[in-house]
Amino acid sequence: MIGGAGLVDVELANPLDTFAGARGEESAREFGTLGYSIRARRST
Amino acid sequence: MAEILEVVDLERLRKEVREKYREVAGDPTAEYHFHTGRAHAIRLGYPLAPLDQLPDYACEAFAGVGNPFYWGGPKPGERVVDLGSGAGMDSFLAALWVGNEGKVIGVDMTPEMLDRSRSMAARLGLDNVEFREGLIEELPVEDGWADVVISNGVINLCPDKIGVYRQIYRVLRPGGRMTVADICLERPVPEEALRDIDLWTG
Repeated sequence: MIGGAGLVDVELANPLDTFAGARGEESAREFGTLGYSIRARRST
Repeated sequence: MAEILEVVDLERLRKEVREKYREVAGDPTAEYHFHTGRAHAIRLGYPLAPLDQLPDYACEAFAGVGNPFYWGGPKPGERVVDLGSGAGMDSFLAALWVGNEGKVIGVDMTPEMLDRSRSMAARLGLDNVEFREGLIEELPVEDGWADVVISNGVINLCPDKIGVYRQIYRVLRPGGRMTVADICLERPVPEEALRDIDLWTG
């Protein structure tokens, strides 16, 4: 999807269990929800 | 993506998102379905510097889901756009990184968050950060203005994600970069869950 918008060199990293211990933990677990760092760039 | 846009009541979703973050702006230390505050930012791996330059009142309504600065912060003199700037913590960090020669524009659709972030910027004496009201699907930023686009936990709240990424492409200069944090789902979401606005917001 990100590449489809014209951005290149897309990278996902650093998955985090961001909702652990929060009220939303149960629904986050249901869908396998993790927080990621995502980067890409616009080509020159 | 068109399928999601057909399933979701966009106006109701935006209304519910505004309502949720209006609550956070007014009472950031209450319990929500997500974590908030400085301790949460540290748990997500935010760099202690320049986070340690911000007072607690500038961090308490932070509600991110990951670390957009995992690969480092913006460089001195750069121009940064923060999508869904909320209470402003990421914009403040970016403003400290870019310094007086740089500029940060935070964009948010929740008036109470804009009031809070503008007030905080004034208290912090940060003249290089500006907060604009708008949708991240229709960014109020000129073409090719930004060296860097940041965001944390906001794109997932927009059904038209490719529209958001097209806006990011539009506002970045050639060679500019996006470093965001957001949630990704490992399992597909059934249509009935997509229709459930409560699941989008919590």
